[in-house]
Amino acid sequence: MMTDIHQYLAELDDIPGTRVYTAARARKGYHLNQFCMSLMKPENRARWKADEAAYLADWPLTDDQRAAVLARDYNRLLDLGGNIYFLAKVFSTDGLSFVQAVSTMTGMSVADYQAMMLAGGRSPQGVRSIREGN
Amino acid sequence: MARITNGLATSHVPAIGVAMDLGKTDEPYWQPLFAGYDWTRQWLAQTKPDVIILVYNDHASAFDMKIIPTFAIGCGERFKPADEGWGPRPVPDVIGHPELAWHIAQSLILDEFDMTIINEMDVDHGLTVPLSACFGALPEWPAKVIPLAVNVVTYPPPTGNRCWALGEAIARAVASFPEDLNVQVWGTGGMSHQIQGPRAGLINREWDNRFLDGMVGDSDHLRRIPHIEYLRETGSEGIEMVMWLIMRGALGPATRALHRHYHVPASNTAVGHIILEPVT
Ligand SMILES: [Fe+2]
Repeated sequence: MMTDIHQYLAELDDIPGTRVYTAARARKGYHLNQFCMSLMKPENRARWKADEAAYLADWPLTDDQRAAVLARDYNRLLDLGGNIYFLAKVFSTDGLSFVQAVSTMTGMSVADYQAMMLAGGRSPQGVRSIREGN
Repeated sequence: MARITNGLATSHVPAIGVAMDLGKTDEPYWQPLFAGYDWTRQWLAQTKPDVIILVYNDHASAFDMKIIPTFAIGCGERFKPADEGWGPRPVPDVIGHPELAWHIAQSLILDEFDMTIINEMDVDHGLTVPLSACFGALPEWPAKVIPLAVNVVTYPPPTGNRCWALGEAIARAVASFPEDLNVQVWGTGGMSHQIQGPRAGLINREWDNRFLDGMVGDSDHLRRIPHIEYLRETGSEGIEMVMWLIMRGALGPATRALHRHYHVPASNTAVGHIILEPVT
């Protein structure tokens, strides 16, 4: 059976605190994500660490994207089309683990976030749907 | 003839690989997780699969945003562990089975699954962590591996129903390969996890365990779980569980479970693991 694409996409935007990596986000973030990908190469990582702003100047990013990368504002980067697996190249180059970087998006300290995970994680109760509030 | 003897599913959390590579598996944080793989290591040593068709997803390692294949099959001779930004994992190269892989690729295309064929690529934690968890740290992997990469990053990923049907087609392709081979299909990724946004850290133990229950016996209802349910109930990265349905589809109408394990957390993730046998 064929899924209605408009309904499908509308539902993806109905999850609290979540930016699903849709085609629209992928288009907006294309160069941002490709910039992140360039940090897979050690020689690029060295150049990036030496002068982040100069390195970014080689990539056709928007001013907002540039500012959010320099500020390591990961929630903002998700809004600007970044995908977490690509953004991971930036925080890995910073020496951060997934837990350390991911916790910055939740408004919790790393210690509080880790304690939440050890206690079984965040409950889905109340954060399934914006519309339904469940 | 080649035959699919078993299916196996496991999460592929990168931190599991890091814990093994750094010798931390006996630490209190990791010990209960690895305990769930002890049975598996003994069982694999006894059952000795010749080839593993390993369903996984690439996490911006071999594929960037330039090309996004929905279903891709690795037909090369060998695949190196990817450098994911902190150097490649110190694990053996993955040895392919080009003859069976090309046979499956050709059969699938004639069976109306339009596969992308990969001759050269590096494989990331999505593929190497399941091998490490299930076999342990070894100087070489005891089975040939055919990587089967699924896009679950850029939306939409394939539907659960399509994944199941691909599994069925893989089973038909394997059954027509003339050499006598013991083939397993592994589905990897999941279980509940979300690693982005303010909702990060979501875990749904009840949903995950219902999904594990559903893998056993007649699993037909799992084909109809829509993407939005995985996302709402198990976190944005819980969508990886559609890949388990390729494995389940390959096993036929009914299964029995040989082993099952569930543990929270590994880093941001709920770890699930199950070994299945087709019931004929
Ligand atoms: Fe994954």
